[in-house]
Amino acid sequence: MTPDEKKDSGPVSHSNDSLFVSDFCLPFLRKSQNADGGWGFHPGSESRVEPTCWAIWALQASGDTLVSAGILDRGFQFLREAQLVAGSWAASPEMTTGCWVTSLACCVLTADASSHDAVAAGLKWLCDDWPRDSAPWRRLLARFSSEHKISAQDDSLRGWGWTPRTSSWVEPTSFALLLLARAPREAWPSGAEQRRELARRMLYDRMCPGGGWNCGNPMVYGVAGEALIVPTVWALLALREEPTRPEFVMSLDWLEKNVKDVRGAGSHALARIGLEICGRKWPTTGATFADFYSRNEFLQSVPVSAWACLALSDQRKWLTGGTPVRVPEYAKA
Amino acid sequence: MRKPDIALVPSFQRPPSRVAIRRATTYEQDLAAMICETLREFDLRVKDKTVLLKPNLVGLDPLGVMNTHPCVIAAARESFLRLGAAQVLIGDGPAMDRDTEAIIESVRLREFAGPLARTFVDLNVDDVKRVALSTRASRLKELFLPKTVLGVDFLVSMPKLKTHHWAGVTLSLKNMFGIVPGSCYGWPKNVLHWAGIDSSILDINAAARPDFAIVDGILGMEGNGPIQGTPKPCGVLVLGDDPVAVDATCCRVMGLRPEKVKYLDAAGTMLGHLDPEKIQQLGETIGSVRTPFAVLDAFERLRQPNGGVWN
Repeated sequence: MTPDEKKDSGPVSHSNDSLFVSDFCLPFLRKSQNADGGWGFHPGSESRVEPTCWAIWALQASGDTLVSAGILDRGFQFLREAQLVAGSWAASPEMTTGCWVTSLACCVLTADASSHDAVAAGLKWLCDDWPRDSAPWRRLLARFSSEHKISAQDDSLRGWGWTPRTSSWVEPTSFALLLLARAPREAWPSGAEQRRELARRMLYDRMCPGGGWNCGNPMVYGVAGEALIVPTVWALLALREEPTRPEFVMSLDWLEKNVKDVRGAGSHALARIGLEICGRKWPTTGATFADFYSRNEFLQSVPVSAWACLALSDQRKWLTGGTPVRVPEYAKA
Repeated sequence: MRKPDIALVPSFQRPPSRVAIRRATTYEQDLAAMICETLREFDLRVKDKTVLLKPNLVGLDPLGVMNTHPCVIAAARESFLRLGAAQVLIGDGPAMDRDTEAIIESVRLREFAGPLARTFVDLNVDDVKRVALSTRASRLKELFLPKTVLGVDFLVSMPKLKTHHWAGVTLSLKNMFGIVPGSCYGWPKNVLHWAGIDSSILDINAAARPDFAIVDGILGMEGNGPIQGTPKPCGVLVLGDDPVAVDATCCRVMGLRPEKVKYLDAAGTMLGHLDPEKIQQLGETIGSVRTPFAVLDAFERLRQPNGGVWN
């Protein structure tokens, strides 16, 4: 039995999160790569940009000696080949329109020296893609709409949407901000600075009244919305350059207070990433990744396994990155 | 494999639909026996087939007032297995939160339906296939829909009986919003809002029309649904072989006029029957279970005049 086979010998019941990640999550990701170099959302499913990004990011950050350069290179190659002519990336291979995954793909490819042109094209597409809801004529129309009074949000603030020509939402806006923070300034297209400022203000404007974020409606159906773990983590990470701002602190407090009630493995992993990168301690008591796995086997999710790896990564710079992660020579062999 | 092209049939060419109303006052009673007995009346051809149950899972809901109750989902699953289905999957793609596992855990689905790792399909992240929209009710020319939904033999929409802030009511047709994958369209599926909720409901149901509907009306929601409304005990399960007829019947149970619900009125021309004359009623009568639901001011027009009288 090779070391890899030994580690892959089945579901585990680890009380130690680090061991669970190294013995189960990393082998799961390594084995789930498709022949085309990409990853699907589940083992055996078609390669898509989003899970490929999470898998590459997690394998890179893991420092795992069993991650060969070939695995990452084939992943990068899949991403480069999936880029659309316009510079964006689509969510699924058959789709011909780019969307929010462009930010993720660019984030990952900033670590690949041969992908700088691809990243530049993606950045330009993102900065040219304005959401539709906050266009001046839309805002004028909205003033006469019966829905106008339902939400108190400032529609002049614009971030990014999930898909082009729709509305601004918290997660895609956060991913775009994370990319801008990760990409070197000299690579920013014109207008990027303005987009960043508007997007940051938009995120604060969309914060829930008690701190934290949901998808982007602090008022849901006319009532104060409740924050959710996943968008709160991404928004905090995107806004972490102002760690003393009261709204930021309130949202981080919300996250810290609510981690004990997390019910899904994905939220569990992301909450840990968010808290620790933002300087808070992860509670040592509570459910482990193995506990979560025993419930629903992570629903066989590649992104959730990748987030678990990232949560336990020693390399805290995976998020800011930008510098290619070099795979040790012995691993290449 | 289902045949989506049979979804669109003019009402005058469509055979009468059948809808059964069963009185069920609590989730603790033997719902599997009730649902199984009712399904037998419909003589469904599900033996050796793959069935997909599509409940309405909206968000974290420890009190069980906003999502289809896990007891109803589990009972339906058991019933289809008793009828000889080879496999009964449960699948949904929640719209507001991408942590689907957190939602199914919050509703305690595993507790009632058993292990979910191989049974539950997160439709938000399923493989997708392009479907051209022949209806063109909205501006959307195509949708990328989950291969699981398109590939199963029998699709069952399982909504909760609720009013809806934007659409008036959310029942088996509106519930199909949940098959549109978040991984392609986001959380929420904002492109559908831009295309028009009513029109999108028609396009989605024409592309993947449910073969059957089971509505959890034991505890519904009135007022500012589908999330912030008020729990409304109604004490019924509504089942039928035509989602339009089921939704129309539910509206009548709620004291609302289905023809005043924009998308239902349009669905009544091509997707199913709205006309009570074309709906064969089984079980309880509408009048015997009628429970008027409160609606927001914007939907007062849906109310039956004089409180409504349906038999």
